[in-house]
Amino acid sequence: MTSPADTPNAVRQDKYYLALPLGQRSPLRVIVDKRNLLANLLLLGLLILLAGASLNIGSAASLSLPATLRALLGDGSPLDTFVIQELRLPRVIAGIVTGGAFALAGCLMQTVARNRLATPGIVGLDNGATAFAVASVVGTGISLAPPAMALTGAAVAAALTFGLTGRIGVRGYRFLVAGIGVGAVFGALTQLMLTRVSIDAANAAYPWTVGSLNARPDHAVLSLSLALPPALLAGIWLTRSLTVLRLSDAVAISLGIAAGRCRMAALSVAVILTGLAVAVAGPVGMVALIGPEFARQLSAKNTVPVVGATLAGAVVMVAADLLGRMLLAPIEIPVGIVTALIGSPLLLWILLNPNARTAP
Amino acid sequence: MRVLTHCLSFGKPRSLIGLWLGLSGLLAAIALLSLLYGAGDVGPARAWQALQDLGAAASYDSEAHFVIAELRAPRLWIGLVVGAALGIAGALLQAVTRNPLAEPGLLGVSAGAAFAVTLAILWGADTATLRVSVAQLGALGGCLCVLAAARLQGIGSDPIRLILAGAILSGLLHSLSSLILLYDQHTADEIRFWVVGSLAGRQLDDLVPLFPTLGVATLLTILLARPLAALALGEHVAIGLGHHPRVVRLLVIVVVALLVGGATAAAGPIAFVGLVVPFAARALAGPDIRRTLWLCLPLGPIVVVSADIVSRLVVPPSELPLGVLTALIGAPVLIGVVRGRRLPTL
Amino acid sequence: MTHDAPACERDTAQPDTAPDMTAPDMATQGLSLAYGSVAVIEDLDLQLPAGQVTAIVGPNGCGKSTLLAGLSRLLKPRGGTVLLNGTDIRHQPTRQLAKRLALLPQQPHAPEALTVAELVRFGRHPHQSWLRQWSLEDKRIVDEALDMTGLTPLAQRPVDALSGGQRQRAWIAMAIAQQTATLLLDEPTSALDLGHQVEVYELIQSLAASGKTIVMVIHDLVSACRYADHLIAMHQGHVIAEGLPGETVTPELVRRLYGVECSLITDPATGAPLLTNVRRTRDALDGSAT
Repeated sequence: MTSPADTPNAVRQDKYYLALPLGQRSPLRVIVDKRNLLANLLLLGLLILLAGASLNIGSAASLSLPATLRALLGDGSPLDTFVIQELRLPRVIAGIVTGGAFALAGCLMQTVARNRLATPGIVGLDNGATAFAVASVVGTGISLAPPAMALTGAAVAAALTFGLTGRIGVRGYRFLVAGIGVGAVFGALTQLMLTRVSIDAANAAYPWTVGSLNARPDHAVLSLSLALPPALLAGIWLTRSLTVLRLSDAVAISLGIAAGRCRMAALSVAVILTGLAVAVAGPVGMVALIGPEFARQLSAKNTVPVVGATLAGAVVMVAADLLGRMLLAPIEIPVGIVTALIGSPLLLWILLNPNARTAP
Repeated sequence: MRVLTHCLSFGKPRSLIGLWLGLSGLLAAIALLSLLYGAGDVGPARAWQALQDLGAAASYDSEAHFVIAELRAPRLWIGLVVGAALGIAGALLQAVTRNPLAEPGLLGVSAGAAFAVTLAILWGADTATLRVSVAQLGALGGCLCVLAAARLQGIGSDPIRLILAGAILSGLLHSLSSLILLYDQHTADEIRFWVVGSLAGRQLDDLVPLFPTLGVATLLTILLARPLAALALGEHVAIGLGHHPRVVRLLVIVVVALLVGGATAAAGPIAFVGLVVPFAARALAGPDIRRTLWLCLPLGPIVVVSADIVSRLVVPPSELPLGVLTALIGAPVLIGVVRGRRLPTL
Repeated sequence: MTHDAPACERDTAQPDTAPDMTAPDMATQGLSLAYGSVAVIEDLDLQLPAGQVTAIVGPNGCGKSTLLAGLSRLLKPRGGTVLLNGTDIRHQPTRQLAKRLALLPQQPHAPEALTVAELVRFGRHPHQSWLRQWSLEDKRIVDEALDMTGLTPLAQRPVDALSGGQRQRAWIAMAIAQQTATLLLDEPTSALDLGHQVEVYELIQSLAASGKTIVMVIHDLVSACRYADHLIAMHQGHVIAEGLPGETVTPELVRRLYGVECSLITDPATGAPLLTNVRRTRDALDGSAT
């Protein structure tokens, strides 16, 4: 079926594509980029490795590998089982889903805006979601669950940023600065709310406002875990259109893509993911930059590595959390700070290096 | 004063003086309000009475007297100094980078000062004097980063990218500061309220170490106004007029570092004042830097002191950090400038 | 399947004339276009002849690019309709329309390191779906488009490493791979030198010869006369003249369009009208003199 004679020539020339035949006699193909497949497998391996390490290493005790496995399966010592199943496993799962969600949202938004700097965090979504979530935690009379509130906050921030910059469009850097402005307003509102509560509540909220996996409310993790797979499928579905949308709006429309609808869909997915992820871990926005960047380095050029970005985001998040727990142990550095310390220099490099591309 | 005005302004000196006097009157009124209103028990009527008694030295409302003399007056003074310093620093930084969005808070200058102070406290430095010079050194570092970025290919001509770079640098320094706070509980306690930017709980003594450097900065500003105005016409024109752009630029940076460092040491990092004040000054007096600087002098304190009043009144009996309020005022201005069809260049 | 493949290969000799390829007629009825509150074109009725090269010319700001945007649904009309084969293009799904109508915007920009083959493959997008991302048919058409534009040897080169003319040919190849019967081009030769301009114009002519309807906006009146079968002259949002270039272009028209005087001669080699002795209008000179 895939004999050289009937493998599409233009495809075969690249030798990077894997054409999957669907059905014995159909000439139809789903194209899978070999390099992307390889990159995704690599990232998956890395993720499993890091997740394992994250289960192993901790302040309570570093278990041996067999002990970890036994505890994971439920027949280790009661203490080990408790540490692994109740403390570390939920944390690793929360790290994987939040990292994946942030990075997928970042990848979609960067592609839509055609700018590597345009991550949800920069555009003010993280701060919007945080402000609304803090409002619900601090209890200003609005008693929606934090995930719903964070989602609303992200949507409001996105509506503000993109609404305010509607006329000047998403090209260039201006809308990013408008986003920074929107983010600053929401950041200020968050602080305003925190000054109104008792010092203990404010202290308790502190790690959460810088981004940490400590809080991770169970229902927030659950709703994010439920939202991530369909969002990833939507991202995969959008990939074809987004790849064309990278060229230009006029070309994309001419090729039959409803550019406005496609952009709206991608942005909506990004908003949902960011809102729900902030409800779990707070504003760890830098993952949305580092994850897709990492994936793009590994993946084939001129593709939109949706799956790769999700996996890479999870890798970055789990690694940053592990690092944060190990570096200054017993003090725990919140993942938000670890990723900011890695991500900010990366951002500066993209921005200041005259040879760096800004298009994703 | 009149001679100085004449030296520094050109065009319509009379209207400038009128504007200046009007704004100064407004500032005086706001200053009075800031003495009268507060978060505590002493209401405006009692405070007014106490103020009158202060002149007459007659019957004594000791509580009101204490509140005014020991709590509100120092705040007012610090607000005046910090506002003027930040406003002028903003105008200077915008003139030297020729970027209407350049603002010490947005570009990472304040963050540099704050980070330096955090480090200094971590290493045991404690006295207010040391804090001022450390903050000024940190601000200088931030300024140099900004200048280096501005000189990079492509960035200098694009005001927006410079702002982005500054925002990212601020974010980086902020997370480094957070890391230190996390690491060291003592520093954290010392600095927690300072780091959000506030005028609350400051002593008049905190102001004293500022005066020498602020004096130097004022003198330099007066000397630099003319060359800066020439620099606005372009580097070559400025050279043709007999100025030395490199020297001017370097000196301006030093002035900005002194002003921002001093203000940050006194009140913590306060963003957006340096954006809003020169923006309003330019709207009132046009683009000439000499006129802008004069108007920044009353406008800066007006913004900071009135923001301080509001911060005391919105959530009594607790107070809002000043930085929160200035962000709420300044961010919309930032968005408005960015939304403009054409970015004005300076 | 393996039996079909050679048959497909043989088919390439004769272009596949699906229903799409029958010469369409494109027209506008009472078309009004505006940017925001600024009306650019109002109540325009236009017929674009099938199977021919139509050139839209006019001074800067006359609305010719706006018209093209309206024709290609990039700009939503404020009023009136654009008809393709008698049906309003707004009533057709954008994907279906993309199989009939292709647009090449002015100086499109390709992402870094995108190869010519990858670019041309994008042209197949409206014919594909998620489960049908690639077929032998697609392959044949892409190869054909590369062949027609003479880009087969350059297929694996990055687009941004090509010369200006080659790059423009690559974009046209993408539009060819789209297999539309109508092709709209917005200033396809702007920023190209003379040699590259001729290269592109001749390609356009050969496309029209193969049965496509071509509509292009161009600046250069002389090239329009040389390469177009049908000329539409626009001025301030109105069509002030249309028809065969040789009959339409008069010194009078040139004065109205560009405010310059000229003499016209017929190119002895091609029979196209040629502008000579172009100078500023006497009126303008008198005006400035007094």
